[in-house]
Amino acid sequence: MSAPGGGARRTTAARRGLGSGVTWALVVVLAATFIGPLTWMGLTSLKSYGEATSSPPTLWPAEIDLSAYERLLSLDGQYPVLRWFLNSLLASSLHTVLVLAVASTAAFALARMRFRGRGLIFGVIVSTLFLPAFVFLMPNYLTIDALGWIDSVWALVVPGAAGAFGVFFLRQFFVGLPVELEEAAALDGANQWGVFTRVVLPNTRPALATLAVLAFLGNWNDYIWPVYVLFSPERLTLPAGLKLLQGAYVTDFPSIMAGAVVASVPVIVLFVLTQRFIIEGVARSGLKG
Amino acid sequence: MSAATAPVAPAPRPPGAAGPAPGGRRRPLRRGAWWTPYVFLAPFAAIFGTFVAFPAVRGIWMSLHDWDYLMPSKPFVGLGNYADLFDPTSVVFQKFWDGMAATGVFVVASVPVLLTVPLLLAMALNRKFPGRTFLRAVVFLPYVLGVAVVGVLFRFVLDPNLGVLNHLLHVTRLDRLLHALGAGDPVPWLTAQPWAWISLVGVTVWWTLGFNMIIYLAGLQDVPPELYDAAKVDGASARQRFRHVTLPGLRPVLAFVLTMTVLASANMFGQSDLMTNGGPGTSTRTALMVILDTGLGQYKMGAAAAMGYLLSIGLGIVSIVNFVALRERGGTRRPRRARRAS
Amino acid sequence: MSQSSRTPARPQPGPTGSSGLSRLSRRGFLAGLGAVGLGAGVAACSSGSPSPAGTGGSGGGAVDLAFWNGFTGGDGPVMQDLVDRFNAEHEDIAVKMTTMEWADFHAKLPAALTSGQGPHIAIQHLDSLPTSAARGLLLPLDDLASDLDLTADDFIRPVWDAGIYDGARYGIPLDVHPLGFFMNTTVMADAGLDPADPPMDRESYEAALDALLANGVAGHWMSPHTFTGGQTLQSLIWQFGGDLLDADGATAAWAQDEGVEALSWMVDAVHRGWSARDVGQDADIIALQNGQAAFNWNGIWSINTLDEISGLAWDVRRLPRIGSVDAAWAGSHNFVLTKQKGTTDAQLEAAQVFVNWVSQQSAAWAVGGQVPARTSARESAEFTALAPQAAIAEQAEDLRFPPSIPGIGDAIGELYTALNEAVLLTKEPREALEDAAARADQVLADNRDRYGA
Repeated sequence: MSAPGGGARRTTAARRGLGSGVTWALVVVLAATFIGPLTWMGLTSLKSYGEATSSPPTLWPAEIDLSAYERLLSLDGQYPVLRWFLNSLLASSLHTVLVLAVASTAAFALARMRFRGRGLIFGVIVSTLFLPAFVFLMPNYLTIDALGWIDSVWALVVPGAAGAFGVFFLRQFFVGLPVELEEAAALDGANQWGVFTRVVLPNTRPALATLAVLAFLGNWNDYIWPVYVLFSPERLTLPAGLKLLQGAYVTDFPSIMAGAVVASVPVIVLFVLTQRFIIEGVARSGLKG
Repeated sequence: MSAATAPVAPAPRPPGAAGPAPGGRRRPLRRGAWWTPYVFLAPFAAIFGTFVAFPAVRGIWMSLHDWDYLMPSKPFVGLGNYADLFDPTSVVFQKFWDGMAATGVFVVASVPVLLTVPLLLAMALNRKFPGRTFLRAVVFLPYVLGVAVVGVLFRFVLDPNLGVLNHLLHVTRLDRLLHALGAGDPVPWLTAQPWAWISLVGVTVWWTLGFNMIIYLAGLQDVPPELYDAAKVDGASARQRFRHVTLPGLRPVLAFVLTMTVLASANMFGQSDLMTNGGPGTSTRTALMVILDTGLGQYKMGAAAAMGYLLSIGLGIVSIVNFVALRERGGTRRPRRARRAS
Repeated sequence: MSQSSRTPARPQPGPTGSSGLSRLSRRGFLAGLGAVGLGAGVAACSSGSPSPAGTGGSGGGAVDLAFWNGFTGGDGPVMQDLVDRFNAEHEDIAVKMTTMEWADFHAKLPAALTSGQGPHIAIQHLDSLPTSAARGLLLPLDDLASDLDLTADDFIRPVWDAGIYDGARYGIPLDVHPLGFFMNTTVMADAGLDPADPPMDRESYEAALDALLANGVAGHWMSPHTFTGGQTLQSLIWQFGGDLLDADGATAAWAQDEGVEALSWMVDAVHRGWSARDVGQDADIIALQNGQAAFNWNGIWSINTLDEISGLAWDVRRLPRIGSVDAAWAGSHNFVLTKQKGTTDAQLEAAQVFVNWVSQQSAAWAVGGQVPARTSARESAEFTALAPQAAIAEQAEDLRFPPSIPGIGDAIGELYTALNEAVLLTKEPREALEDAAARADQVLADNRDRYGA
């Protein structure tokens, strides 16, 4: 591990007595800044509406009130949260797989092959990064309708996979791969597909994993598009469904926070499970910015 | 915008690379039939064509009409929608440029913070110390939340009269410091300027800091340790090493982060919508809020599309400027690479 | 976050030209009406007129209907109960209710109708109804109204009139939801005020605020946000004798002296300490719940919220008169039938049966925190037994509604901007109102062009 501004040997300094006290203090402050609001979210979800809005605010719930969760998880069907969760999981997983598949092949072609119109195609793709998503909203709704995908999981899976980010991101990685590796594979008789699957993909796993997580998170948290294209309550995704918790006139903070907890916990778990791989993996391999 | 790719193309050597560093970029390999690249491109191209290229072209067509999909007639207005945006007497002029100005303020206020603070954090968290992995995870954690959650959470936390932040400031007496700086009592986090901007920028930094930090962390791994050693031998101070080793080494990553951050900040919408509702007054009504209100609220989709294209042209220009600026100074990277290879 | 008008960036119905029915659906609609007959003969309807196109049912003969609304609050379950009861009583009709946020509702409805995935029956707010009608989303209901024996006499006049666009009726009023004067009686008593005799005119109201201030309480928090500052300001403008628009609905009138007086009263309350500064969204009613404020002018929907808070002693009255006349802002939910391809005659008939049936249950609906739109229902023993609702309903004759012209939300939004600027003390009331009026005049002119009104 190298430490910019310090050099690898500098890390020993941090371990000296004086350093570690300061370090620990900084760690605690930093962690508190980031965890504090999330903790507040969790604590609020356990309060009654009256207590959540009391002033001065109480830190710990005077009385644990699980009614927000009871409303959410009750089985009477008003909020089929489990169903929404499964819908979200399915949509985000399929979306992630699709993004990886189409972005990686396209990025490989753009990074490694020479063909007519390559620069133009890449330029067009990248330039769409600048277009606000709104421009696509209504036309895409009409397209989805024409395809008969309204109220189906495909409406959530496919359109987002057209985003330029994935191709842009992966291409930068692929460009940085040493050509020698591929040439070696080619000498062994691999065709382009073989080079792609046996050399390029295995060597860019961290980049693919990063893109996978970003694609999954983006799809999981999207709450504008699903509201447009989904109609049946039982087909909603989690964020779209949780909007129903929002009272028509009052902001019911405990319920919203409970909804946020329910929606976030799966992604937080996913992140905690993969974070070592993502963060350490990306960090170790280096992003070919 | 092929310029987008320019500074990032000469990438540092990846760790998996065996053998000597490539002395120069080879031509792309050419194997397989002439149609092979198109086959690889086809799946993405199909989706891209259907859901991006087609609507983007359709959007241009929309912007030339008084377009409402429910109306039987969508009269052609030529460049009228664009002309309105430059006509100070039109209904949309003030709204749009106020929105653009608000977006500009947010970009200018947030991008430097989102470029520097994550870099400092990445450098700190690149050192080995107990709790490092935990801290990296914690800093990234807010990014997994959607803007809907973040917005409502902070509207609640930052409420001037009822929020827990002002309560904590009061209990710890830190609010006196803010009052001394001219903040009203209660500190109007969401209801007066500049506090509303400070809150919006602060929340955005809290939320997306981790993403940029991870990318910087990745970039830092590619700055070869030998360079630091060499700089130290030359007697360079920590500051000089940062300036002459770390920064040049990070330039391609910096370009990537800059592009993505500018784009994200210029498309800011959810935070304002949920936390300040565009207020106080219309001061935090961003361009995207104006566009959405015009297009989906008032069903003037042609006008909204014209605004969208104007915004994206502006973003394109900003990005090109960014890249030209970074590329010019990027020339200093060459010697470094040569040194490293030797 | 709540009603569509609250989030300006979210869709509100906008303009369009076509207001009539397509020839085909109009014929089907009339045929359906003939079969339905009067409201009493409803049960027989769908079997009574088996239309050849009547494939809306799900095989077994029951007609499926989709019903959309934005009742995500305490009113949702009340409406769901009504729907369940209706379904139980009508074997041949199956109504499926879908609830979403009002903002999403308004965003989604036009798109859904375009693609034939939308509802057959929906609820619209009074101020969005003319816009939706103008954009061709709705079916005219004149025949239904007359067949249901709905007459102007039975409704609050402005509610009745607001359902009419371009000479045709598009909405059947379900309820009205006025602003009421909510109070925390504990805080009042602490300040030496008699909760049983709340201040109902300007002099006593200001005296009460002074008494509260002397007791360390900012008595009435002035919200700078649409909810509920926007409704408070509109009520005050009317109370001071002003109006939102001129008589033709062509230009904004809120910047005239009456409007300035109204907004100045709110701003003065901040200056004098009667109100806290920098009030956040919802903070005005939360302060009342917490005992940080004594008074709040809020919608009748707050009844259910306040009821749920244990240990809170509260009461509600009609709005006090601060200006020269009694007036209170009110909104109204209206049933509408949507115009959408694929709707069968049988569905149209069944939809009318449903609207008629629910509209007869408006006293039951009032439990959700509403005032029935029908005078007869308002005077029923069932409703008068609901004390808080009935207290607010006392001002039925003084209720004022947003102007009923298409695209009105775009113009009123400017008033909310002025409110925000003035109450947050960034602009003087007159200047804020005048600037907003100038912008609104442009919007109104622009909308006139679009609607051809």
